[in-house]
Amino acid sequence: MANAKTLPTMAVAEEPVINYPSPLKEFWLGFSHNKGAVAGLAFICLIVICALFAPWLAPYSPIEQFRDHLLTPPSWAQGGSSAFLLGTDEVGRDILSRLIHGARLSLLIGLSSVVMSLVPGILMGLLAAFFPRWIGQGIMRLMDIMMALPSLLLAVAIMAILGPGLINAMIAIAVVSLPAYVRLTRASAMTELNKDYVTASRVAGAGLFRLMLITVLPNCMAPLIVHATMSFSSAILEIAALGFLGMGVQPPTPEWGTMLASARDYIESAWWVVTLPGLTILLSVLAINLMGDGLRDALDPKLKRAA
Amino acid sequence: MFSFLLRRIGVLIPTFLGITLLTFTLIRLIPGDPIEVMVGERSLSPTLHAAAMKRLGLDQPIATQYMNYLGQLLHGNLGTSLKTQENVWVEFKTLFPATLELALAALAFATIVGLLAGIIAAIKRGSIFDHGVMTISLTGFSMPIFWWGLILIMLFSVLLGWTPVSGRLDLAFDVQPQTGFMLIDAWRAELADPSLNAGAFKDAVKHLILPAIVLGTIPLAVIARMTRSSMLEVLREDYVRTARAKGLSPARVIFVHTLRNALIPVLTVIGLQVGTLMGGAVLTETIFSWPGIGKWLIDAIGRRDYPVVQNGILLVASLVILTNFIVDILYGIANPRIRHAK
Amino acid sequence: MTTTQTPLLNIKNLSVEFGSVGNPFRAVEGLDLTVQQGEIVGIVGESGSGKSVTMMAMMGLLEGQGRIVADDLTFDGKNLLTISGRDRRKIVGKDIAMIFQDPMTSLNPSYTVGYQIMEVLKVHQGLRGAALQARALELMELVEIPAAKTRLHAYPHQLSGGMSQRVMIAVALACNPKLLIADEPTTALDVTIQAQIMDLLVNLQKERNMALIMITHDLAVISEVAHRVAVMYAGQVVEIGKVPNLFRHPTHPYTEALLASIPEHSKGARRLSTLPGIVPGQYDRPKGCLLSPRCLYATEHCHQERPGMTQHDTGAVRCFYPLVDKEAV
Repeated sequence: MANAKTLPTMAVAEEPVINYPSPLKEFWLGFSHNKGAVAGLAFICLIVICALFAPWLAPYSPIEQFRDHLLTPPSWAQGGSSAFLLGTDEVGRDILSRLIHGARLSLLIGLSSVVMSLVPGILMGLLAAFFPRWIGQGIMRLMDIMMALPSLLLAVAIMAILGPGLINAMIAIAVVSLPAYVRLTRASAMTELNKDYVTASRVAGAGLFRLMLITVLPNCMAPLIVHATMSFSSAILEIAALGFLGMGVQPPTPEWGTMLASARDYIESAWWVVTLPGLTILLSVLAINLMGDGLRDALDPKLKRAA
Repeated sequence: MFSFLLRRIGVLIPTFLGITLLTFTLIRLIPGDPIEVMVGERSLSPTLHAAAMKRLGLDQPIATQYMNYLGQLLHGNLGTSLKTQENVWVEFKTLFPATLELALAALAFATIVGLLAGIIAAIKRGSIFDHGVMTISLTGFSMPIFWWGLILIMLFSVLLGWTPVSGRLDLAFDVQPQTGFMLIDAWRAELADPSLNAGAFKDAVKHLILPAIVLGTIPLAVIARMTRSSMLEVLREDYVRTARAKGLSPARVIFVHTLRNALIPVLTVIGLQVGTLMGGAVLTETIFSWPGIGKWLIDAIGRRDYPVVQNGILLVASLVILTNFIVDILYGIANPRIRHAK
Repeated sequence: MTTTQTPLLNIKNLSVEFGSVGNPFRAVEGLDLTVQQGEIVGIVGESGSGKSVTMMAMMGLLEGQGRIVADDLTFDGKNLLTISGRDRRKIVGKDIAMIFQDPMTSLNPSYTVGYQIMEVLKVHQGLRGAALQARALELMELVEIPAAKTRLHAYPHQLSGGMSQRVMIAVALACNPKLLIADEPTTALDVTIQAQIMDLLVNLQKERNMALIMITHDLAVISEVAHRVAVMYAGQVVEIGKVPNLFRHPTHPYTEALLASIPEHSKGARRLSTLPGIVPGQYDRPKGCLLSPRCLYATEHCHQERPGMTQHDTGAVRCFYPLVDKEAV
């Protein structure tokens, strides 16, 4: 304060008062700028609502077979019935109900496989970054090996061992998406480790766990969040692919990919059995990817400036 | 350059060993008794069971089993299929050209279209074309390709009747597999016997188009997006400004000064697509009944033919590792900074 | 005085706008500048004051991002406003050449130094084969690169910053340009190298009698080498004048402040003299003189109206109340 007196009495420009927006608001400003991302988010909300309230939203039980209404076309098509909005499949189940209930499964598997690979992935990545010599080398070589296998093939191989089923599919997909998390966490943690604030924290006597989880990890979250979104969408694709190959969730459970497993037989006769489940998968995955793009633009300051 | 090669090979060997360890463990992770799982429902007498264990070397300690497995591999012995009693390597060798032909066609389609779309989108940044490319490529990237295959069959085969539904060649033609590449074999057969095989080549092309498009869709989307963003990044570089300040033509600025540097990351991405292609081949070959290794592996898993599963996966993984190795080398050639790095 | 011969470069009332048409940002506004053959003109100003943008606009390097308006933009008798892209490229890189701030990123990492020099010779002079090689080597030697013959095959990442800038100069001089623009050519280099590069540039300029525009914020360098200096602030030229008059008797408050901020001028003072406040950005442009919020001498008139350029006997100044030589008062 004493210094202020020694300053020449110049026309000191007024210090502008800037209200910095809260991080959340700043993020939303960036995110909502991207129309595709908002559209994606809206569609995801729709899917989530479907999943949450499936029993109330769906007109019928997803496994109830209406024997008198095999392969009924959608209501707007010729021969359609208003009772079955999107038609019925080869054993007379209501496709709309199956799609709505299928949302539960896809979201559940996607979400749990993301969590199941995110948590160990982050831990292994942090370990590899903090102990680059033996543990780090070991972990990274293992990840290299897993990356060498095409992910679908690895998932198929794991399913071959574990046998088909819901839980096994989650595990297979979680294992397959693990290496990307490990690599991403390690790479960003290594960058952060060289920065002065980490050294400062170390000098201040922070313990290993504090350094790992409180000091470094929050600064690696942006790319991890973006990647988690992207791997959520690829998890949905993979579970559908497993279902299509007959190795995922078993019928009559309404899973989008499994619904397509027998669809090949109806290419010539019942287009709705073929198109609708796949279109649902495509739109969901596209919505998540659109949101992921928006997230990346909003979370990555480097890209933000370039835009 | 030589030390660069050596370093790469130094990484290659442990990775390959790791893969063998993985495939070795894989088959031993099967819950329950492996012999019972392999023979299926039929129960075996204890003596037969012990004999089977001995034949497969399963009565040895795990470490010995692994060393034996490695020894077998080094001798080129990849085991025999439980179903056909055929050597796994021989089966792989006969089926692989079909997958390679499909994968190469898909990659060519994806690379040519993806590069062009990405380059033009970057040059015309913000235009309708750019937005179109970005939207279409994100859709392609989100595509469940098994469904995409069904939709294309429905449209082009069933509705329009332009392309056949499945297989590699119409049964009416008499084409002996020589190279294993149907395009080449059909071409040669047509030349050798024009009366019998007229139109065989055209038919082979027709069979290839849809599967190649389906398999190439995701790589196409990835390549287009990557090319665009890489081009945009390089276009902002100082040396591109220098090139313009030299008074070079726009074509020269783009193709000589921008593209070469922009292609370096794209090349890596194209290399990484080999994994995607092998994974996608499993689905594409199943949809189109394409007799390649993807379908072979799925069938083997379906009938619990474990030697085929184990070593088939080993072969595919080796293939992917080897391609990535080659891409790494090419990357070094394209990028002098890496080539000269100590 | 200097208007007796037609200038090599004549810029009248040049404006460059970025952004949308409805909400434009004027990076350069109403800029006048002439450069005679064989003259060294310095352009000084803070970063973002529009120095580089002016030169990039003239060379057509803004690539349709900026909108360029001017009453006149003539180089060597050719109207650069109406010229076709093809004809412009015959001038740019040949008669007008430019070197940039960061030599390490200004050379293409994928090609050898030799390739990048020979490229200009091929495109503009059609040289081929042995003649091409010989000329490239000659240029490398001209810019005093040791072991020039082996360096021809070096990649940019194998050269130091100073060496890279010499290569950039070789590229620029390849076709004997009439005008060389040096955009902060020494900013990214080590202090010891800076003087060497500057000497090289000035010597080459004298030898070839080419015009040289030197963009910099190093006033000391400019005062030694330039014939005339233009001072830029927020996209406008605020003062232009001959050296050394402009340095001895600045007439614009901004020039005065700029000179006062040189450490040597503040010897004995407790703190370095600074100009309070910041350069106005896109949204906070004052209504009146752009310097008025920061100017010590600003009056109500300055806050209300923007001044134009006023000619005086050794230059021109953009101020309603140009400073009178203190010693003369």
